[in-house]
Amino acid sequence: MRRPLLAALLGVLVLAACRGSGGGKPAIALNWKPEPEFGGLYEAKRSGDLAKHGLDLELTGGPGAPVVQMVAAGQVAFGIAAADEVVLARDRGVDVVAVFATYQTNPQGIMVHASRKLGSLAELFAAGGTLAVEPGLPYVKWFQKRYDLARMKIVPYGYSVAPFLLDPQLAQQVFVTAEPIAARRQGADPQVFLIADSGFDPYAAVYITSGRRLREEPARVAAFAAALRDGWRSYLDDPAAANAVMGALNPEMDAETFRLAAEAQRPLIETDFTRQHGLGAMSLERWTELAAQLQELGLVDHAPDPQRCFADSQKLAGSRP
Amino acid sequence: MNPGLAPRIGPPLATFVVTAALAEAAIRVSDVSPLLLPAPSAVVRAAWSQSAVLLPALAATARCVLLGLAASAALGVLAAVALSSSRWVERAFYPYAIFFQIVPIVAIAPLLVIWFGYGSRAVVAAAFIVSVFPVIANTLAGLLSVDPALRDLFRLYGAGAWARLLKLELPWALPFILTGLRIAAGLAVIGAIVGEFVGGGGLGVVVLGAMREQRTDLVFAAILHASALGLALFALVNLASRLALRRWHASESSA
Repeated sequence: MRRPLLAALLGVLVLAACRGSGGGKPAIALNWKPEPEFGGLYEAKRSGDLAKHGLDLELTGGPGAPVVQMVAAGQVAFGIAAADEVVLARDRGVDVVAVFATYQTNPQGIMVHASRKLGSLAELFAAGGTLAVEPGLPYVKWFQKRYDLARMKIVPYGYSVAPFLLDPQLAQQVFVTAEPIAARRQGADPQVFLIADSGFDPYAAVYITSGRRLREEPARVAAFAAALRDGWRSYLDDPAAANAVMGALNPEMDAETFRLAAEAQRPLIETDFTRQHGLGAMSLERWTELAAQLQELGLVDHAPDPQRCFADSQKLAGSRP
Repeated sequence: MNPGLAPRIGPPLATFVVTAALAEAAIRVSDVSPLLLPAPSAVVRAAWSQSAVLLPALAATARCVLLGLAASAALGVLAAVALSSSRWVERAFYPYAIFFQIVPIVAIAPLLVIWFGYGSRAVVAAAFIVSVFPVIANTLAGLLSVDPALRDLFRLYGAGAWARLLKLELPWALPFILTGLRIAAGLAVIGAIVGEFVGGGGLGVVVLGAMREQRTDLVFAAILHASALGLALFALVNLASRLALRRWHASESSA
């Protein structure tokens, strides 16, 4: 009976590794490659806004990184996730909190060929064809609730626009700052319907931290949000310098694409709401609505308290140093 | 019931039960988040409550794995026979057979969708690509290791190439082919699931969806189903091996 003992030992080691808080420099885990959706963060690091606020953060993670798990386990101080992931995680008993929302309007959408002359998501679903989306996306469940998807053949999305370029009847998920620009530059004539138009609009590229860190170091978290606000302000005013930094780290994406993407995302980031409440601000109404929607979709058993899902600059203001 | 069964199933079953119990205890005591590592009991609960999702997915994956494995067996043996026909053919083509072993399936999987379209054909192709090389390599090793004395005997009796292949070389290589298939069986399951990540359907999509929905318990339940599939295939190859070899080959006749 040596094997079970060995396995148990291994299990304990894994647990220890998961629970270890990982010494060294504090880090932030990204959920994608360096692209304009992280422009304000790279700008804050480049310009010294982070350092000015006493934060010397290492940027880690990337596509497929289990960001929520890493933040919850304390392996990284901060992470970037979607608002719906925060609600799901809190429902599963994982204490993560949103502190800054990059996108006021969700930048995800469905891209179709403009040649199909479709006017809306409803028309697309009525027309049918292939729909390439990552399995398990909450907004696809939302579509299934709101529309009749019986005519759509739903297939996985493989992060390549090649199938879209080859099939005029194929529709696919996109980030408005990425795939439509790539498809257009490869000769396609794409048209995008934002998922927000269907009534499902979670904050996106949300900066998260663990509830424990928020309780223990509220001033530090507030400083992080303030640095992000400064970084995003500078990036919106002039993205060139940060784009050059990110372009060196992500050479597959050329300078022109960076410029176009930064341009495309601007209206989703800076809105009347942020002009009033500051960049990255979030509202209780939006979180309440999201929690109720995810419950309606059966993705959470009982909607977590929306009040505890986020702590934006206004909530944190009291603890500023 | 076969009296030989209990001593065979007992030890691995005991390992499983003891390991699961220890993991359950360790996870409960350490109060680790179910998102990071679900307890075995949570995995079993997920497997039970989501069986309406998991069982059809298992059936779809199993179908593609079997087709991919069958293609590997047929084409792998054919390729090995062709390679063994002459030293020059082997030298010219064998290095390219190795391509199948090193091809990073995750990287080319999106291309499979473009070549074969969405659906099971791309999945079968992925299962085939990762599982064919062990069949080729083992079969070739078998075909090339035929006892020279027996080759001489066949030549003395004036046997033709076909007779030599069917009555000497392939039977000689059979244990090798079966070893290749044992390795191929597990690889085919991995290949099919990676294929499903891009081609759609089966356990691959269940895994992706459960990860996105942060249902770690369901991820592990799906992995459990995939392991069961791999074990079943391994057992199937072993059964074929017993039936085919027990009368004459040392590897199976001792039992």
